[in-house]
Amino acid sequence: MRKHQINLTVNSQVYQLEVGTGQGRVNPSDTLSFTLRETLGLTGTKLSCDGGACGGCTVLMDGEAVLSCMLLTIECDGKIITTIEGLKDAKTGELDPLQQSFIDHTAFQCGYCTPGMIMSAKALLNENPAPTEAEVKKALSGNFCRCISHYQVVRAVMDATGKGR
Amino acid sequence: MRTFDHIDVYSIAEACTTLREYQGRARLNAGGSDLLTVLKGDFLADYPEAVINLKTISGMDYIREDGEYLRIGTLTRLTDLVSSPLLKEKYPVLSEAAYTVATPQIRNVATLGGNLCQDTRCWYYRYPRSIGGPVQCLRKGSGPCLAIKGDNRYHAIMGGKKCFAVCPSDMAVALAALDGKVIIVGPEGERRVEVTDFYHPTGNELAKDEVVREIEIPIKRTPTQQSFRKFTLRKPIDFAIVSSATVITVAQGICTDARIVLGAVAPAPVRAKAAEELLIGKPITEETDTAAAEKALVGAKPLSKNEYKIQIAKTLVKQAILGVTD
Ligand SMILES: Cc1cc2nc3c(=O)[nH]c(=O)nc-3n(C[C@H](O)[C@H](O)[C@H](O)COP(=O)(O)OP(=O)(O)OC[C@H]3O[C@@H](n4cnc5c(N)ncnc54)[C@H](O)[C@@H]3O)c2cc1C
Ligand code: SF4
Ligand code: FES
Ligand code: FES
Repeated sequence: MRKHQINLTVNSQVYQLEVGTGQGRVNPSDTLSFTLRETLGLTGTKLSCDGGACGGCTVLMDGEAVLSCMLLTIECDGKIITTIEGLKDAKTGELDPLQQSFIDHTAFQCGYCTPGMIMSAKALLNENPAPTEAEVKKALSGNFCRCISHYQVVRAVMDATGKGR
Repeated sequence: MRTFDHIDVYSIAEACTTLREYQGRARLNAGGSDLLTVLKGDFLADYPEAVINLKTISGMDYIREDGEYLRIGTLTRLTDLVSSPLLKEKYPVLSEAAYTVATPQIRNVATLGGNLCQDTRCWYYRYPRSIGGPVQCLRKGSGPCLAIKGDNRYHAIMGGKKCFAVCPSDMAVALAALDGKVIIVGPEGERRVEVTDFYHPTGNELAKDEVVREIEIPIKRTPTQQSFRKFTLRKPIDFAIVSSATVITVAQGICTDARIVLGAVAPAPVRAKAAEELLIGKPITEETDTAAAEKALVGAKPLSKNEYKIQIAKTLVKQAILGVTD
């Protein structure tokens, strides 16, 4: 069956997108990262390698960390997506404790890998609110940083769990 | 990525008929973690007209024992293989191998069937169009193999015939050590192929209109000691430079049955039968282990830049066998 329309929930907002070419539509070959950034204007999700190898484009799909550059948007019909823009409190605008912890620990240099790092960490904390440091490192093993922010990142995540060291 | 028609299918049979309709000009998509890299690189002569989504087929993700066999559905995600209590308890070689594949994000979408059917990682073959590719070679049906004279550090050290690319799948290595079979569905019905026979020197066993449905593993009556080892430069993400899976039965201190499989050394996972025979009937000691590791690599014929893989392979086999005794 060919789809003519898809429903995508991004950061609690439901989008009905037509399949096809042109502004605001989803081409069958569009990746989720492309749709988020170019079609929906959510540029918080970063694209680096576009090949599954860096983790920069990580978002949550039904609560799990996935690579938005390696998914076809048309195959995400009915899915619930959370991006970095969706972490803050929708009413008060207050940052997620994890985001605040990254700021408090200056857990970035250029910041390009940061949204992906935070989304992978968020997926871990959703499933396991009190991880060990080893579990944090495992969960972040698919997120690469060119600027060596990893040490601060691990501290920021541990701190956000209240287990800081 | 260049565009294509996109079709959701709701059964394996429908996947077969759709493949047939497109006469080889369509590709199946499961998790997409390999297919999307192939399409983005655009290095094949036949860019697909259509992509067929298998994820709309329900009931194809399962891990269950039914009397004689452990059965795993083709759409079972690697994440679920890693966390399955049944696999952890009785088939740890599978969950350990799944854990070494790629990264957490990829394992969350990657499927077992996709892992077995993924395309080769040979860097000549995959040279992207955007930076001057595609590069022609024997596997693509035109010209010689470029790895023979070129940079072959990650290529085969045994079993290469014309094409020297290695099987990139880690799951295939673990499944071979469990005597796994791939159940393939085509227009004429179903057939079963040993995992080690699933790979051909320049591709795999699948015809243009065939689909993998399930992996079938005979249940062993006696407990076995299992281990998976993988050598990489970086722990996450990297493909194996060499891997080894072992499944060994030991009764009263004597090895009564053994499967020793090498990965990333040949176009298919390689059962080191001479090494298995050497171990059977003997206790597992430092001495028999070393002898088995030597036997496993007899006949290896490295290319110009990959002799180093032999020593790594011997060490992995040794570690894998000894690892299972402690
Ligand atoms: C950065 C990175 C690192 C990786 N590291 C590893 C690694 O360490 N070890 C490893 O083994 N792999 C690795 N992979 C390769 C691979 O993506 C995964 O192993 C994954 O399991 C593939 O599964 P998939 O469901 O995403 O496959 P897909 O991309 O959906 O499919 C792969 C191929 O199989 C075919 N196919 C899929 N399902 C079927 C079916 N049921 N019947 C017939 N054909 C089918 C598709 O047409 C396609 O050609 C890596 C990939 C990336 C991008
Ligand atoms: S190893 Fe195989 S895929 Fe690589 S260049 Fe040689 S023929 Fe081509
Ligand atoms: S941009 Fe998606 S993994 Fe690198
Ligand atoms: S902070 Fe620059 S890539 Fe990580």
